[in-house]
Amino acid sequence: MVHALGEIRRVLVPRGILIDLRPVLDRWPVEVVSAREARETGRLQDFSTGIADDEAANSAVARASENAWFSRDQEEFFPFDYSWDTPSEMEEWIADEWNDFLGMEETTKQATRSAWALGDADTRVRVRAKMLITKWRVRGASQS
Amino acid sequence: MTLQKDPARNESKYLHRFADFTSRRVLEIGCGEGRLTWQYAQNTLSTVGIDTDRDALRVATVDKPSDLQTRVQLACADSQNLPFPKETFDLALLAWSL
Repeated sequence: MVHALGEIRRVLVPRGILIDLRPVLDRWPVEVVSAREARETGRLQDFSTGIADDEAANSAVARASENAWFSRDQEEFFPFDYSWDTPSEMEEWIADEWNDFLGMEETTKQATRSAWALGDADTRVRVRAKMLITKWRVRGASQS
Repeated sequence: MTLQKDPARNESKYLHRFADFTSRRVLEIGCGEGRLTWQYAQNTLSTVGIDTDRDALRVATVDKPSDLQTRVQLACADSQNLPFPKETFDLALLAWSL
């Protein structure tokens, strides 16, 4: 990852901008949502592999910063929602797409199914992923 | 499947808050199927999207909006060895790929 950041610096002009946009694990909340309300029914489990990936990315940008390749201009977190019509669709997606780095406890599944079943006709389920966006600026002359 | 991703369009809002793409030469690393690319490329001078996933790039090639045909180029490339000369781009976007 550090090498990739060095490559990016190489192809950017002096004072060029790098935007790093990525999800970060933080036991993302599971919610049942209707026009009336949003209710949290549990949180996803972060697996060690996912946490290690986040740590590796953080370490790489820290190295790039220490090497004076980039300076951090701006940073913020924001929510990125995944929303499904039904709990079963959500469970299927999580098992198929996210099983390498996070999971869902049975108690959360049950709580979500129950809350959804008791909800209004427009009730959906969602996972609120946490996103990190950082703006970096190239420092000094670029490498050849 | 009825999945909706980011219905509030927060990603696009924050991206445009953090970066002005107007008349910039942009490199997007990890463009995938172009979901994010189509949201900012219109105002760029040029955009190059790279990914190592050839299947995703095929989808992006098919889905590329007609008004972006000449402005956006897609390529299979790895961020560890970028096939571009020094100082080619004004702005790089690491899209879910670090």
